[in-house]
Amino acid sequence: MEIDPVTTGNADTVMTETAATITPSPAVPSCRLNQLTESLKLEHQLLRVPFEHYKKTIRANHRSFEKEVSSVVSGIGDLANSDCSKEVAVSRLTSLVSRLQGLKRKLEEGSNVENLQAQRCRARIDHLDSADVENMTEWNNTKLKRILVDYMLRMSYFETASMLSESSNIVDLVDIDIFREAKKVIDALKNREVASALIWCADNKSRLKKSKSKFEFQLRLQEFIELVRADTPGSYKQAIVYARKHLAPWGATHMNELQHVLATLAFKSTTECPKYKVLFELRQWDVLVNQFKQEFCKLYGMTMEPLLNIYLQAGLSALKTPYGFEEGCTKEDPLSQESFRKLASPLPFSKQHHSKLVCYISRELMDTENPPQVLPNGYVYSTKALKEMAEKNGGKITCPRTGFVCNDTELVKAYIS
Amino acid sequence: MELKSVKDAFDRVATKQKLSYSKTHEIFHMLSQEIEKALSILQESPPSETLLDHRSILSDVKKMFTEIAPISQLEAAEKELQVALNKYPKVLEKQLNPDISKAYRNNAEFDTHIVNQIIANFFYRQGMFEIGDCFVAETGESECSTRQCFMEMYQILEAMKRRDLGPALNWAVSNSDKLKQARSDLEMKLHSLHFLEIAQGKNSKEAINYARKHIATFADSCLPEIQKLMCSLLWNRKLDKSPYSEFLSPALWNNAVKELTRQYCNLLGESSESPLSITVTAGTQALPVLLKYMNVMANKKLDWQTIEQLPVDAKLSEEYQFHSVFVCPVSKEQSSDENPPMMMSCGHVLCKQTINKMSKNGSKSSFKCPYCPTDVDISRCRQLHF
Ligand SMILES: [Zn+2]
Ligand SMILES: [Zn+2]
Repeated sequence: MEIDPVTTGNADTVMTETAATITPSPAVPSCRLNQLTESLKLEHQLLRVPFEHYKKTIRANHRSFEKEVSSVVSGIGDLANSDCSKEVAVSRLTSLVSRLQGLKRKLEEGSNVENLQAQRCRARIDHLDSADVENMTEWNNTKLKRILVDYMLRMSYFETASMLSESSNIVDLVDIDIFREAKKVIDALKNREVASALIWCADNKSRLKKSKSKFEFQLRLQEFIELVRADTPGSYKQAIVYARKHLAPWGATHMNELQHVLATLAFKSTTECPKYKVLFELRQWDVLVNQFKQEFCKLYGMTMEPLLNIYLQAGLSALKTPYGFEEGCTKEDPLSQESFRKLASPLPFSKQHHSKLVCYISRELMDTENPPQVLPNGYVYSTKALKEMAEKNGGKITCPRTGFVCNDTELVKAYIS
Repeated sequence: MELKSVKDAFDRVATKQKLSYSKTHEIFHMLSQEIEKALSILQESPPSETLLDHRSILSDVKKMFTEIAPISQLEAAEKELQVALNKYPKVLEKQLNPDISKAYRNNAEFDTHIVNQIIANFFYRQGMFEIGDCFVAETGESECSTRQCFMEMYQILEAMKRRDLGPALNWAVSNSDKLKQARSDLEMKLHSLHFLEIAQGKNSKEAINYARKHIATFADSCLPEIQKLMCSLLWNRKLDKSPYSEFLSPALWNNAVKELTRQYCNLLGESSESPLSITVTAGTQALPVLLKYMNVMANKKLDWQTIEQLPVDAKLSEEYQFHSVFVCPVSKEQSSDENPPMMMSCGHVLCKQTINKMSKNGSKSSFKCPYCPTDVDISRCRQLHF
């Protein structure tokens, strides 16, 4: 603890200044532990996504068994009520037995898939469990790779995503298979086909309904517009039939949009009316792709943005200081790099509540252990670095930034609270 | 966070899933047993039986099926599983942060090309050349300019792993001036390692020649090290039991590898740690603080999309403090060129604005330091440069 350099006996005015030099929290394990715990709380997506997948499989399996069993039950009922001959009865019953055997096999297979997915859920819990203060560097390295795979999957860079996850042994920690399912739909939409997107909607009907999604409606609207665009003698009639069947049911909730789009019947795809011209633009298909991506992420409990963007934004802001943009800024600061500066430019600067001083010479923190010393020219360096310099040069200190020379006896300690 | 409650909740799901599986299995089994039973009665009965008989057998099966009520059994089994399935996400939401994008700025969209360049550079920087190449090809980005440089760096490092110092020394010698400018002792470090290798090859004479030729020139800056090195020759047969056993430590090599990486990257204009990994780790530290702030401030209208400075201290760990930041203890303002830090005669430091305020803009020639009883003379306050 530092004592003030000057104290007078005036008891009224003495403010006992303890720990006068800067007091950063030293790397106390408890503080590191807290940081670790907090960072693990960011991993919701890691646990949620494989679970949603698992749940989906369980539900689908259950639904298909229920359907099969009720059809077996009603098969027996029909048979019992019919006037069939004994031979027919035997052959029907035999086929029901083999159907049930097939079901058992299917149950077995379904359960294997479920177990694999449960294992994946567990692997992720175990991965979170494995993080501790000792292996933070390694754990963070793995985390960065997971985040990069997430980015690549969202950008449809599947090849690199597989390669990176296999070479880094993190296949169980990333969601390649889930994104492959999305890719099918995305590729189809890019080819201007809605069929696979509609199948996806049907597969996830109840959940989409719960979240009041209108994605299916938008797909239907697009199909309708394509019929109008075709502009052949039969296509208008087709469009109207289509609208009656697939669009009208949405009227209750989305009447305005329905009216808006149906008015395209009055215009042609060559219309110059800006409100309608936009509906015929091919860009609408990209809108659908983005819409799908959002619905997909929501369904699996993923963030809408790639994790990389979220972490980069927070990190860039936390690192962004006016100094990072200065000429001759230390290369260790990511913001000394042009590319990082560009990404950071629209983001807010960091804020610090307390002084933190870094020695220009040694890059070490100047704190109680290694307090700042002032040269007569006002330049400040750490005690350790100046001591080392003085020892090598017989007590002579040379300011590395100005070339100013002085004696180590001329140094004054600065007190920074 | 309670990871245990997450585990427990998942265990419940897994248990119920197994239960539901065996129930379903059992139901399938019962149904096929009933049908098989009926089949065997039908098949064993003599062909002379009347129509009525096989109809009664069939209606028995139907009755049995109604009694088993397979559908409601299936539903009952699933119901318990459903409860566990619905509970688990709730536990996750409680124990973890369900939406880490709450502190995300939607209007600061990143340029994909820049992000991709940064990622490609990261792979090369980490020596993952195959993946880097794959990424560049898949994204269609232009070739990374740093690839070749990092390739050379990894060749040097690979050689060092085989204890071959040749490429490293070549590089250090040809960049000698720049290394000196950066105050790096890498060249000396590498020469010392080479010297020790020769000395342990039991060839003292050759080692001395090497020292004369390559090490003596560092006498200005590294005299104590040179003394130790030369003295170690006295024990070169049993260095492990000598005062110089440190020279056998693998840490010496690790340090040289680290220093070479650092200097190589710095001369390239790159940081010694990957900037991507620094930024993401900084993000990992900052996000919990930012998210907590957003939660507390949920009702206050803070326009996250437009603020120019974060409202909270992200509390990054020390290694991410790249610059000196002075915060005036009185005004709590960060110092700047217009408002620099000033040291008073007592050694306490305040910002210029605060000092002006305390001296009533210089109308008072002295004032009391807020941190000690010193009377501060305005004319003796000096500007500091951190
Ligand atoms: Zn101030
Ligand atoms: Zn004072």
